Amino acid sequence: MIERLVFIAEARYTRLVLVALLFLSLQTTIFNEMRPFGVCLQVMLLLAASSGLAKGSQTGAIAGFIVGLLYDMVLTTPMGLCAAVFAIVGYLAGFVHTFVHESTWWSRMLASLGVSAIGMFILPIAFTITGADGVLTTRVFLVAFVVAVFNAALSLPVEWVCNWAIKDEAMVR
Amino acid sequence: MAGYSFTRRRAILLLSLTSVLLITLDLRGSSLINFTRSAFGVVFRPIESATRVVTRPIQNTWNGITHYNEVVDENRRLRDLVAYDEGATVAAIASVREAQELLALNGLPTLAGISSCTAQVVGNSPSNFSQTVELNRGSECGIKVGMPVLNAAGMIGKVTDVYSKRAVVMLITDPGYSLSVKVVNTPPTTTTTTLPVDPNASTTSTTTTTTTTTTIPRTTTSTIKGFTPGGTAAPTTTQASSTGSTSPTGAVGPNQPGKNTKSPITVPPGVDLPLRETGALEGRGLSKRPIIRFVENQPRFGSVAVGSPVISAGGATSLAPPDIVVGTVSRVVKRTGTLGPILEVKLSANLDSLNFVRVLLYQPITERPTVP
Repeated sequence: MIERLVFIAEARYTRLVLVALLFLSLQTTIFNEMRPFGVCLQVMLLLAASSGLAKGSQTGAIAGFIVGLLYDMVLTTPMGLCAAVFAIVGYLAGFVHTFVHESTWWSRMLASLGVSAIGMFILPIAFTITGADGVLTTRVFLVAFVVAVFNAALSLPVEWVCNWAIKDEAMVR
Repeated sequence: MAGYSFTRRRAILLLSLTSVLLITLDLRGSSLINFTRSAFGVVFRPIESATRVVTRPIQNTWNGITHYNEVVDENRRLRDLVAYDEGATVAAIASVREAQELLALNGLPTLAGISSCTAQVVGNSPSNFSQTVELNRGSECGIKVGMPVLNAAGMIGKVTDVYSKRAVVMLITDPGYSLSVKVVNTPPTTTTTTLPVDPNASTTSTTTTTTTTTTIPRTTTSTIKGFTPGGTAAPTTTQASSTGSTSPTGAVGPNQPGKNTKSPITVPPGVDLPLRETGALEGRGLSKRPIIRFVENQPRFGSVAVGSPVISAGGATSLAPPDIVVGTVSRVVKRTGTLGPILEVKLSANLDSLNFVRVLLYQPITERPTVP
């Protein structure tokens, strides 16, 4: 029984959930208050994108889904919406990076910038599809730009965190 | 490679189906989703509180760097405003008290008869696309979905989600918010006076228009303790009769001031009372002010003046009880034809700095759960 619990606790997605909870608490507190240019920075989106950059498209999609689902828990938007969008972002981050022959720090930042911007465009579109009004405005461009730049700036340390969190169980032991 | 590809496809398909299933369940109001959110809130609140305590110095530093000048300017402005408002508050309290006594006397509903729950705003929405705030009180206080929320300045929104110890409020600026409101338009206090006609003179008369303020005769007494009817001077007009004499317009018709012996209340002349027109207020997001549609283009209502107060209309299907202050008209966009104008509203409540709010324990009929 205890071995099973230890096994679950050591599972890489368990670690990811714990890291995502920490990021979520930062998202709802400090990043909710600090709004450069009136834009709420999206560290949960950064976590999803960084998971894809760190571990590839498939793991990125699953990690993005988990991160998005946790984010949905504190939002009033339909449950599963952010999960779907973040899964796409995680998948795209891993997929885009497969085209890079020799990845460098700036190529990773660039990929993070691109997929974050795409995510911030997909999110209001998804909201509109599920019935929300007035979210698809020109402000989306400002939001996407600010969030993308911020996510690019922090992509390297967060990718390192994701690398640690989604490490294989055998490597942890 | 084929196996890897199959696994990836299967994983993506599974994620997509799960998302669609969750969205469908939530949009259909599944209690399972609500329970999950509520349970997650119980687990997550302590983590969030701890993080808030830890990150408070960073937030304060950020606010100090970015908002210092604004805070100093605002402080100076608020000091002036407090000094200005102190005098107006006394008069306003007296007016409100008189209005409530009048409404109570006539058996009309007032805000004073509705219980409320005071709560504190503990967080904003971390999203860029929804305007919500979270309160630290929930169903334990009697809060239910649909109840109106206001602060000292006026209406701020309605409750959309309720948990045991927290509630989510959709702000009035959210595009999903709509409220029936009244625009109180004060007509110009003009008096038309016809000069007495000299029977010996010719039949030509001269008409002059002047702006006057006339005190109505206080002819009625009241049995309400501490209440003096007619305490507030209401402007009135005088109208020329065919004989050339002038008389208040209210003296003609069923509502004659002071003439109805069955009513203990003076009914002021109706012509110069503030005219009210109802419309629907809609939020348009954080960056734009809410607007009012469906205001009819009635000649009697006249042109809507910028600065006219906007209050909730009330009614059986309204989201809020009547006479809650919403704001003032800040811009009038006229439209051609029979379409009434679109009015932009400057909200009384400052939604950027909400702290203590009051949830009126009034659940509109439209927000009550339907019994299957």
